[in-house]
Amino acid sequence: MGMNSKKEELMGIVGQGNVSDDPACLNGYAQDQSFALPIKPWFVARPQTAEQVQELVKWANATATPLVPVSSGAPHFNGDTVPSATEAVIVDLSGMNKILKIDHRNKIVIVEPGVTYAELQPALEKAGLRITQPLLPRANKSVIASLLERQPTMIPRLNYSLPEPLRVCGVVWGSGEYSFTGEGGMGPRSLEDQWKIGLAQVNQQGPLATDLVRLVTGAQGTMGIVVWASIKCELLPAARKCFVVKAAQLEELVDFCYRLERLRIGDEVMILNRRQLRAVIGKTNGCGCGCGGADWTVVIGLAGRALYPQEKVDVQEHELQALVKEFGLQALDAPPEVAASLLAVSGETYWKVASKGACQEIFFLTTLDKAPRFVKTVEQVAARFEYPASDIGIYIQPQHHGVSQHVEFSLPYNPADKREVEKVKAIYTAASEELVAQGAYFSRPYGAWADLVYSRDATSSRVLRTVKQIVDPNQILNPGKLCF
Amino acid sequence: MALETYRADAMRCSRCAYCKWVPLDLMKSWRFSKGCPSIEFGHFHSYSAGGRLVTALSLMDGRSEVTEKVKDSVFKCNLCGSCDVTCKMCRYDMEPLEAMKELRFHLVEQGHTLPQVEPVIDGLRRELNMLGKPRAERGDWAAKLNVKNLVKEQAEFVFHAGCRYSFDGDLGDAARTSVRILQQAGVDFGIMGEAENCCGGRAYGMGYKAEFETRRDSTLIAWQRAGVKTVITPCSDCYHTFKRLYPPASGCDIKVVHMVEFLDQLLGEGKLKFTKPVPMTVTYHDPCHLGRQGEEYVAWNGKEKKIFGQAVCYDPPRPRYNGAFGIYDPPRRVLQAIPGLKLVEMERNREAAWCCGAGGGAREAYPEFSNWTASERIEEACSTGAEAIVSACPWCERNFLDATAGGKRKLAVYDVMQLVEKAL
Amino acid sequence: MEISRDAYRAIEDIVGPEFITDDPAFLDSYAFEWLAELVRPNRSHYMPRPWAVVMPASTAEVQGVTRVCNKYGIKIKPISTGWYHWAAPMKDNDPTIQLDLRRMNRILDIDEKNRFAIVEPYVICAQLQAEVMKLGLNINIIGAGSSTSIVASACAYFGGGPNSYSMGNNSDNLLGQEWVTPAGEIIRTGSLSSGCGWFCSEGPGPSVRGITRGVLGSRGGLGTYTKCAIKLNHWPGQKVLEPKGPPPGYRLEIPENFRVYTIGAPDWDAWVNCYHAIYDNGIGYVFHRQFNLAGADLAAALWLTYIDPKKTLNDVETASKDPAIQKVAEEGRISFQLILAGNSMESIKLQDKVLDAILAQTGCYKVARFCEPDMAEFTNMYMQRLGHKHCNFIWVGGYMGSWMQAGTPDYVRNYIPTAIKGFERDQKSHLLVECGGDATMGCGSTIGGGGYFGLEQFVSYDPNDNDSIDACIKHMEDAIKDAISVGVPAGKEALYLQIGWSDERIWDALSKIPQQFILNFQTKIKDAFDPNYLGDRNYQWIPPGWGQKADAK
Repeated sequence: MGMNSKKEELMGIVGQGNVSDDPACLNGYAQDQSFALPIKPWFVARPQTAEQVQELVKWANATATPLVPVSSGAPHFNGDTVPSATEAVIVDLSGMNKILKIDHRNKIVIVEPGVTYAELQPALEKAGLRITQPLLPRANKSVIASLLERQPTMIPRLNYSLPEPLRVCGVVWGSGEYSFTGEGGMGPRSLEDQWKIGLAQVNQQGPLATDLVRLVTGAQGTMGIVVWASIKCELLPAARKCFVVKAAQLEELVDFCYRLERLRIGDEVMILNRRQLRAVIGKTNGCGCGCGGADWTVVIGLAGRALYPQEKVDVQEHELQALVKEFGLQALDAPPEVAASLLAVSGETYWKVASKGACQEIFFLTTLDKAPRFVKTVEQVAARFEYPASDIGIYIQPQHHGVSQHVEFSLPYNPADKREVEKVKAIYTAASEELVAQGAYFSRPYGAWADLVYSRDATSSRVLRTVKQIVDPNQILNPGKLCF
Repeated sequence: MALETYRADAMRCSRCAYCKWVPLDLMKSWRFSKGCPSIEFGHFHSYSAGGRLVTALSLMDGRSEVTEKVKDSVFKCNLCGSCDVTCKMCRYDMEPLEAMKELRFHLVEQGHTLPQVEPVIDGLRRELNMLGKPRAERGDWAAKLNVKNLVKEQAEFVFHAGCRYSFDGDLGDAARTSVRILQQAGVDFGIMGEAENCCGGRAYGMGYKAEFETRRDSTLIAWQRAGVKTVITPCSDCYHTFKRLYPPASGCDIKVVHMVEFLDQLLGEGKLKFTKPVPMTVTYHDPCHLGRQGEEYVAWNGKEKKIFGQAVCYDPPRPRYNGAFGIYDPPRRVLQAIPGLKLVEMERNREAAWCCGAGGGAREAYPEFSNWTASERIEEACSTGAEAIVSACPWCERNFLDATAGGKRKLAVYDVMQLVEKAL
Repeated sequence: MEISRDAYRAIEDIVGPEFITDDPAFLDSYAFEWLAELVRPNRSHYMPRPWAVVMPASTAEVQGVTRVCNKYGIKIKPISTGWYHWAAPMKDNDPTIQLDLRRMNRILDIDEKNRFAIVEPYVICAQLQAEVMKLGLNINIIGAGSSTSIVASACAYFGGGPNSYSMGNNSDNLLGQEWVTPAGEIIRTGSLSSGCGWFCSEGPGPSVRGITRGVLGSRGGLGTYTKCAIKLNHWPGQKVLEPKGPPPGYRLEIPENFRVYTIGAPDWDAWVNCYHAIYDNGIGYVFHRQFNLAGADLAAALWLTYIDPKKTLNDVETASKDPAIQKVAEEGRISFQLILAGNSMESIKLQDKVLDAILAQTGCYKVARFCEPDMAEFTNMYMQRLGHKHCNFIWVGGYMGSWMQAGTPDYVRNYIPTAIKGFERDQKSHLLVECGGDATMGCGSTIGGGGYFGLEQFVSYDPNDNDSIDACIKHMEDAIKDAISVGVPAGKEALYLQIGWSDERIWDALSKIPQQFILNFQTKIKDAFDPNYLGDRNYQWIPPGWGQKADAK
């Protein structure tokens, strides 16, 4: 089938105004901030409903057309939205941007994939709710995409599992079938009908012996297209206080953080190095970030909700102060910019690219005791390529009640400076290889990491290919990603 | 009682497998969490109380037959009663220990006996003791003691040494010390000497009910002739037999006292004082027959009745033996009264104590299993930092001595009476 | 039926002769299972006999045995602690070996700092809890109690319990796991799969664990789980639990930073509001409706009798007629147990204050007699260790749970009156234990943080009385009809009954599930990982084309 016929058929599915083959538009999807090989898609289709998504997928199966789902606005970072196959159609879900329901009683919000953090948080605030979010997400970042990517959220005590706060999804699978995950998977396939019989899409597990939601998370759009999702909310805190705890060495903070996370004191907990703390509050030069010259800072946000909120904060503060004393540390009031960053979305220029225009990230999961070693590894690799250690932003985010830690390195660079680009690319490649060899767990294997990870893990590859074959037998969803 | 009596127990078993563990509330470590030596050694479910209830049911219903494996599973058990305690954590209508005994009777009655046990029973029939020793030597231990022989004289109290203390020279002077203390306390007592019978309790445990009844009747007649009202014994096996197995026999109203109870009473009344320090850290092993199986016998002849439609209780109320009121504190109080002696507890104590391995005929029939069971207890005792394990039963002590004989574990083994002797 | 001698010999060569048996009486001990009489012909207490019982000691042995089974076409049914009728083989005349995993009983590691433990299948909750408490840590013990296998609840079964509210369901607490598929392949999941340790269950990429560990797990129907890591949580209580008193009502001292309450509600609406307020305020360490398993009419009489070691069920009858105890029963008619734990005294005092405010707001109250020291300490012991869970069987040895449809508190509240009315009706036969229409109990939340649970109606019947068994079966059938009449899907009773159904009847029922995607998916997963169909229908699947409606329009 030729391009023109495809375009016509696409317009038939999503509407004339929702298909684009404008080169500028296509170029926007052909590459991102990562080092992924640029491949230009043929079309961008913007479905407005779940039914249209399903029709699109069926059409793609019939025409063997690769589909690449995209929900967030640019810039994209990890290569997952860049087609790995030619002749692809970008399924831009940003137009599906309705908040379908805010269920205050059950603390659930149901959104479509185009709903961004910048849109969702204010709407929830009006209802006295909020969701746990990643650190300063892009304003145009799709909430669903972020959760499907298993981006770390900032409140480890609420992270009962890594997919949290994602609960139940409506998924159009690569096969064209449409089903609900979790508790939603056993009821009627209509949210309205489920609501009528009292179902509230709270439980992520299931249906039956399968956890379908776990097959679409971390999948980079290869398994199915999520057309709505329910997300667990929290009551909006009525009292807050933010602290910083500083140290010259990361090692000095490890035992303290272990204890802090174990006791579940506070809401937000994270460790930032000086470079990253400055970036978070938008200081590109000088200090003024409240780090007090220390290289490492733990940021701790205390919050009180419902009854006696201020007293809840006070009690946590006393427990925190007792704890820092035990470890010979100090908890100081956080500068207002730091406290504000815990609640905010990024400014127009995404904070990670603010200093130099681009940024390459390296992130993985590990346990806290191993984090200092990995920091050393990356710094050593960077030094080999004469990249200043002081330019590396480091962010450590405890997850799953602190059992695992997301460790993230940001390597800012000037995209116009070819030498710098090559240097960062070389660091990215070398550091990733060394980190993998040392046991860093690349649980979200984007781009080149996929080969690094799956070449060492034949079993996972085979099992995932089996699952892929079931839910996307014609391999039309984002082919070329992961081990597919 | 026929096996059929326990059909309801089998049918109502929920297969929860609590019987394999110590009461879950009492679990303090992985290492010492198990309650049942039999399932730990035999592995298959049939080696648990729940499994044996199914075996009984299966045999009664003709679904299976007695094989060598079935015999192994039925008899390779110490009848220690740990399962009984744990089962009854949540049940008032189950008697797994009694059912397991009945299953043994059933097998023995049908001729499914263990060849390795037959010589022991023959020895009992012939020599009236469980060690196969000449019956004429039974009273030798008391040769130099000036004590009444109740074959010839009368007394209100009889001191019953038991087979093991009568013949096992390795166990020291527990019996003789007991006699001295009784004498000092001014008790009017005697012994049966050469005419002392095996109590029959171990034969009962091995499934030989008829042999038990013969021994019981013989003993009771002898005591009756001697005017005995109370039996005092340092052997927990005998204690349990007299206290729990004899009373159902008509006309048996003998009071039963273990030496540790007697000592405890003397201490309480200020009639006994320990003067010599015994600087030692010891741990006390609750003999199954004194501890969880040492509860008072309560006569009962009733039947099941249903309340609230289907809940099961009994008319009149059925006595409940679940280890709640075993003899736990007297031996501990005696040990704690010894100057310089420090008593430390094993994780599994009182109603949750791990068996020594000697009971239920296991020592005679399955020495490897019996020794392993004892070794497990020795390991537990060593984990407390104690220098010695102390018990109040010669069968426990014999098994512990055998288990430590190889020298793998340096742990002294004492009877409470031996330490008392040191302290006097 | 006998297993072929060649197959027997081949398995024996792997595990050793002492760890395989086909002695009929031994096999019967595995066939005999709780609930069997409710689903088997002639009310038999036996599920189908396995053809042999095999006890592997390692993953390699499990794999070896599994391969032999593939060669000889023998079905495999693994068990850990081995409870429920679905733990046994499902079908008569189907060559099945029971894989008893009790030799795989080690705690392989406790990583205190990173808060996880790695265990084999026969490690039970009480064992692990005792060990991790020494380190100031704790585990989520599932509702079935601490005699259950951690691997089973984390990898293959439900995983919710009284602590799930604060610690998460064991599905969520599951980290790395090791799975021997029915085809004999060893699959490791999460970070373990990448050789990076046991600390994470997700990824790399999509999570492989998602194919087997759903809401109920595969329950031994799709291979054998041989190890897993489980997340541990902070425990601010005693390092070693030292219960007081004689059995059965052991009491556990309540540390000053703990509070142990039984909370009563004047009506179900107040109860729901109280539940919500507890979630919203984030208080509570243990949150469970436990004591009502004895039935609302009798709970006070039973538990106040139970804690007296000299009393028996005869005394419950007397107690139930005591006006003072009847008053307690009324106070506790709609009640639940709540244990608060604070990391500091200040924290526990604030939690207390918050609770008092919640009670004032909702009209709920503390059930005074159950909060007195004897009952509070007993409650503390009961709930912290869950070592009395088989009091489920206390009345007469037969218990079956009906209802338990999970949802939000409002969802549960809506079906409760029907569940109560139905049970009251069915008790009129006098063939079930008459304990009041409300014998519902369950977790405060089966998922971390609260907001989702079900209540299970505890139906007690006499398994030694065929009329009582029949009455229980009738109640199960009635409960299904009652549920449908109020627009609720069938509950736990249906799950139990299905074990006795033919394949065809199950497939018919499954084909009526509104969304068929999951069944098609699981059928294909079965084809891929169990090509010789050696697992059983605890892992649900449906033959292609079986009565399907067009699901995927």
